[in-house]
Amino acid sequence: MADSPEAIKKATRLYLLIGAVLFGGTVLTVLVATVPSLDFGKHGFDTADLLIGLLIATVKATLVAAIFMHLNHEKRLIYWLFGLGIGAAICLLFLTGLAIWDPIHYNGFPTGVPGSEPVRHFK
Amino acid sequence: MEIPYIFTPRKDTGLVNSKIAIWLFLASEVMLFGGFFSAYIFLRLGADYPWPERTLPVLPGLINTFVLIGSSVTVIFAWMSLKLRKWHQFQFFMAITVVCAGVFMVLKGIEYNVKFHHQALRLKDYAVVEGHLGYELKDGVHVAHGEEPKDEDFALNHHGKKIEENMINFETSELSFNTVRYHHDWVEEIIAHAAERNAAITLKEDLKLGKEAPVLFDKDGNAAPGSKPLAMADGFAKGSVLSMKLLERITELHLEARSHNAELRTDAFREEWKKAHAQYPGKSDRQLAPDVKIDVTKLDLKVEHPSIGFEVQPATVFHFRPRDIQEGPASGTLRDGTALAGKMEESPMGFHYVDALDFRHLAMKVEEKVGDNPEAVEKAIEESWLIKSNHELKEIWEKQQKALGLLTAELAKKDRVPTEKDKYRVNWQEMVYYATTRLEDIKIEAGKYQMPHVKMELDEEFFGPNYAVRAKAQRPDGHLGSFPHLSVPRAEVQFASKFAPAWNTYYAIYFTMTGLHGLHVIGGALVLGYYLFCGKKMYLSNPEWLANRVEVGGLFWHFVDLVWIFLFPILYLM
Repeated sequence: MADSPEAIKKATRLYLLIGAVLFGGTVLTVLVATVPSLDFGKHGFDTADLLIGLLIATVKATLVAAIFMHLNHEKRLIYWLFGLGIGAAICLLFLTGLAIWDPIHYNGFPTGVPGSEPVRHFK
Repeated sequence: MEIPYIFTPRKDTGLVNSKIAIWLFLASEVMLFGGFFSAYIFLRLGADYPWPERTLPVLPGLINTFVLIGSSVTVIFAWMSLKLRKWHQFQFFMAITVVCAGVFMVLKGIEYNVKFHHQALRLKDYAVVEGHLGYELKDGVHVAHGEEPKDEDFALNHHGKKIEENMINFETSELSFNTVRYHHDWVEEIIAHAAERNAAITLKEDLKLGKEAPVLFDKDGNAAPGSKPLAMADGFAKGSVLSMKLLERITELHLEARSHNAELRTDAFREEWKKAHAQYPGKSDRQLAPDVKIDVTKLDLKVEHPSIGFEVQPATVFHFRPRDIQEGPASGTLRDGTALAGKMEESPMGFHYVDALDFRHLAMKVEEKVGDNPEAVEKAIEESWLIKSNHELKEIWEKQQKALGLLTAELAKKDRVPTEKDKYRVNWQEMVYYATTRLEDIKIEAGKYQMPHVKMELDEEFFGPNYAVRAKAQRPDGHLGSFPHLSVPRAEVQFASKFAPAWNTYYAIYFTMTGLHGLHVIGGALVLGYYLFCGKKMYLSNPEWLANRVEVGGLFWHFVDLVWIFLFPILYLM
């Protein structure tokens, strides 16, 4: 971590650069979502737009975590703590996903659940 | 007591304690927001209605993203300033951070406010209409199309606020209040409304809650000279006028009686149980219970009145919000248990400005029945109540269909097709365009691949359409106004709500996640503000101590930014 005065002064440009990248990423996300000529995949919102939007957001979030939150050079204990939090959140996602097998609420969602017709989601 | 390792790292962890603490907290925050993101995914995948894609105003969301990113940079600079022992520089950057938090919350407040004042309605045929409701005029007159009434023309409730044209009008000749559950505010509204209509609400019959003779009370709770005052009276004569004081006195006596009677009954039971135990010492309570009885006629019980009946002369139309009343053919019940005798009058829902039409849900329902059949959807839309009953909306729909044809042809050149939104939704900018453009003049801009629409003014990006200005727009038929007027009979209403969590699961998760995030912004700003305004002492005692604190606060602030980095695209752009 940039802890000495010299290292901190050096890091200033990096923080400004990351800030600029985050601003740029945000503008890019909005342009991709709103400007028709930058519309990837099908016309309007679709999987391609979803993936691009999430990809940009993930890059931005990684930069914030790695540089601003100093996770690129942290102590091992911090990695363990944060990693456990993320791991638990992912487990939570899959636990919620078990609702797929609730035949009343998610009748047939998603396709591939045996013995049920898929719900017609909007195209 | 001195707290260890607040500015020197522990040897085993290599970290100061506060840093471990904040990371533990952030790990729990990851789980909290992770849970909500999971909920979002499953709500979206499992939605049984068209998910409202790209429905929120982008500009305020974009500015808020810039504000949070900017504040993430300034909080780092504030920490760096402390490390370099530059107190004033620290103050400068920290002040910007706190101001950014304020800007974020103001924009969020505007966004919420617009949503809470915007009405949505799903009709029985699943057509959705959006807009702003009109307000009730005095004497039950409704605002006609094109009229812009003056403030003094509007009916007001007893709080002096205008009443939206979304009320159940119920003609009532008799009212019966639940003695303990009546809602104070509603009774006050009933009393004020009756007074305005010169109607009298009086006790239907003598009500005796004690031994005194019934006394007649007027609307102020006063009795004839020489009679018992209200605070002392325990009998109320038929014809006493409904007032809050009267109801409160009856409630007081009823509760007294109830408590007195409960005590007597308990004592009597206790006595009976004692006798039973003495008489049958070997038997269990369960065996004894059927035979342990008391004779209430022998007890000196007071009279209880769980409900109080009033008559309304002449029968008067009262207005109730749809969520407060359950209406039947000859009676109605309010949520507080008040029973009404009478009948429901026409209670249309009046949109003063319709600013969007959405047939996506209707199309979805048709497709669920008959499969992918555009003709069937088109026919269902043409036969929908909205298009059949309102010529303005019909005209708008015809123009939309023409524009859709043009867009379809344009997109076909690139092997693309219009979206469901293009096909079945008319948003407010498109509606203004159609309302102010002749059918033969409808055209789309080449290379834009968008339905035709008017440009949004800057204020409209934040506050939604400027109705006052747009209402003055010239239409091809010579009339003024960009937004149609619509009166929807109650029988056609399936579900109505503001754009609040009740409207659908999208708004429920939107308000939950952004609300929770907003609370984090407020919490973070309070902590950072504390360092800004009260950190000098800590700085003077040991600058490293404050630097560590600011680093910890900054970590939380970056996390708040990180969450927003995902919230913005998924809620505003997808």
